[in-house]
Amino acid sequence: MSRPEPILRLENIHKSYTGQEVLKGVSLELHRGDIKVIIGPSGSGKSTLLHCINFLVTFEQGRVWLHEQEIDPADKPRLHAYRQKVGMIFQDFNLFDHLTALDNVQIGLVRVKKIPKRQARERALSELARVGLSDHVFKYPAELSGGQKQRVSIARALAMDPEVMLLDEPTSALDPELIGEVHAVIRNLAAGGMTMALVTHEIGFASGLAKEILFMENGLILEQGTPAAILNNATLDRTREFCAKIARLHTGGREPA
Amino acid sequence: MDLSFYTQEVAPALLRGLWVSLGLILPSAVFGLAIGVLAGTLRIYGRPLWKRVAEIYGLLFRGFPLLVQLYLWYFGLPQLGIYLSPYAAAVIGFSLCSGAYHAEYIRGALRSIKQGQLQAARALGFSRTRAVVSILLPQAIRRALPGCGNELIYLIKYSSLAYMVTCIELTGEAKILASLFFKYLEVFFVVGAVYLALVSLASWGLRRLEDIVSIPGFEYVRR
Amino acid sequence: MGRGIQSGWEAIAEGLPYILGGIGVTLTVVGGALAMGLALGLFLSVAQVYGRPWLQRVVGVYVWFFRGIPLLVLLFLIYFGILAALEIDLSPFTIAIVVLGLISSAYQSQVLRGAILSVPEGQMKAARAIGMSDARAIAFIILPQALRLALPGWSNEYTVIMKDSAVTYALGVAELMARTNHTASRTYQHFWLYLLVGFIYMLLTWLGTKALHILEERVAISGYTR
Repeated sequence: MSRPEPILRLENIHKSYTGQEVLKGVSLELHRGDIKVIIGPSGSGKSTLLHCINFLVTFEQGRVWLHEQEIDPADKPRLHAYRQKVGMIFQDFNLFDHLTALDNVQIGLVRVKKIPKRQARERALSELARVGLSDHVFKYPAELSGGQKQRVSIARALAMDPEVMLLDEPTSALDPELIGEVHAVIRNLAAGGMTMALVTHEIGFASGLAKEILFMENGLILEQGTPAAILNNATLDRTREFCAKIARLHTGGREPA
Repeated sequence: MDLSFYTQEVAPALLRGLWVSLGLILPSAVFGLAIGVLAGTLRIYGRPLWKRVAEIYGLLFRGFPLLVQLYLWYFGLPQLGIYLSPYAAAVIGFSLCSGAYHAEYIRGALRSIKQGQLQAARALGFSRTRAVVSILLPQAIRRALPGCGNELIYLIKYSSLAYMVTCIELTGEAKILASLFFKYLEVFFVVGAVYLALVSLASWGLRRLEDIVSIPGFEYVRR
Repeated sequence: MGRGIQSGWEAIAEGLPYILGGIGVTLTVVGGALAMGLALGLFLSVAQVYGRPWLQRVVGVYVWFFRGIPLLVLLFLIYFGILAALEIDLSPFTIAIVVLGLISSAYQSQVLRGAILSVPEGQMKAARAIGMSDARAIAFIILPQALRLALPGWSNEYTVIMKDSAVTYALGVAELMARTNHTASRTYQHFWLYLLVGFIYMLLTWLGTKALHILEERVAISGYTR
């Protein structure tokens, strides 16, 4: 039985920052509906990898394909079109501070997709409703809690009709009480069939959500497999070591489900 | 391009003018800085009366355009019976105006120094005046260096206004020369270049000075 | 006490309307220069922050030149020198605005550059992530924030240009300073008239600064601090 082609494919990504090689030849595939969670110690290159996928960071070697069409960063119009298809959620939210929540979601529709204002507004309102923020649409980022900000940023990305969502430690900057609301939104997205690549420390959340877990260290994907396989039965010692450490941290010592 | 014009007419005149300009800039810089240090210090540590005087001085001499101030000294005072030479009016005008701006920088610098410094000095037995002069001012001057240095550079540029009160410095000589030979473009091109050179030299000197007097951990962030 | 025909106060009172008429001219010159300085300054600052190295160098030279040359010298150079050589005929009024505008653009470009650089990097990242071109990102995300940050600096620029506008008298622009001179040479009340015009400049400066403060408050985004 052959699988359909992957939506997103990375091959052999190499990235260095001033002499230090951060990504040492990483390859990745995302098929429709895949939810891949990337875990690993700090400095392993997880975040950089996500930033390479949508070319926010330039890399020295490697190729990226969307629907088997290679993306050339020098071709600006196609790059911009590609970025609309690959939504990104940042650890620091990066909401546009001078715009209300509604305008944050709307601006991409109006200025990038060139949709007429009225239609854009309706779409923006519905995306914000989808993440549960209908009551806060006219608030500025400074007036929103961290969890609300992250949900706005998810709405903003969804408004662009992405095929893939990249989430870079979406809850790492949040107070514990606020993490739940963001997790709920992400779970809904997954249930709706969104293809996702998620970088996180939250091992409990990851294991419940992921179809596949990838363990990265020192710029390479060392091991990948189903949550059960990686978390309970990892092949490499290094993987076991890491999983044990974060399991203690995030689940109070309980074994992940 | 008549080179002899430049060597025989332009160069001597402009050199004369440059000499006068320097004779305006240097004394004004020294007096201005001295007045500024005094006024700035009085604003923070002076007795109520002197504080007020310094405040009003600052408001007036930063509020009035420099040109108006110069005109007051040279054209205005005669009405009250006081006659100043163009040079004197210019130096007095530049010094007092510049001093008001220096005072602001010194005042800001003094305010930024932690209270504890003064208290420690008093505890050691320094009188208030001595403490301010020996301990606080040296620190304040370092902090005020970028601002005061900037003001000195402004002085170099604004010294050209001395021409407006008939003190013939570099700009004055240029104007006379240019209208005499109707070679405005050439003459003012050269004059512009001379001022740019002076300003660039002063800026470079200022940066070197800032580097020399910097004490580790002592800088505060400036844009 | 002057040697004039009229008594001091009468002379001043008579000349006052003429002098006050200069306020309009002065404000127009200042406003025009500020606007031109902003328009050019925006362009220069964006070029300096986002442009290629050669463009950055060109802007650097421009800024060095217009911040280094004295206002009076530039006025003479352009009005008597360059315009005459090119045989272009523009009024002193226009030249005053242009020269003040050019100098202001050099200063404003640096303020704006600082403001642009202090907008967090994440804003640009997020704009790119939703597919905005750099041009759109700069226009709709970076500059609106940078301009708000630069607003306090505009107060300072306004006061400087207000005082510098007096120098344009040297070209014969009929603004406050020129009119005061004219009245003084007629009435011999130099001291009192210059004192008066000094206070008028102070008042205009104070009013303008107040107006800019109100503008700052109007465009402030609640809770937005950097």
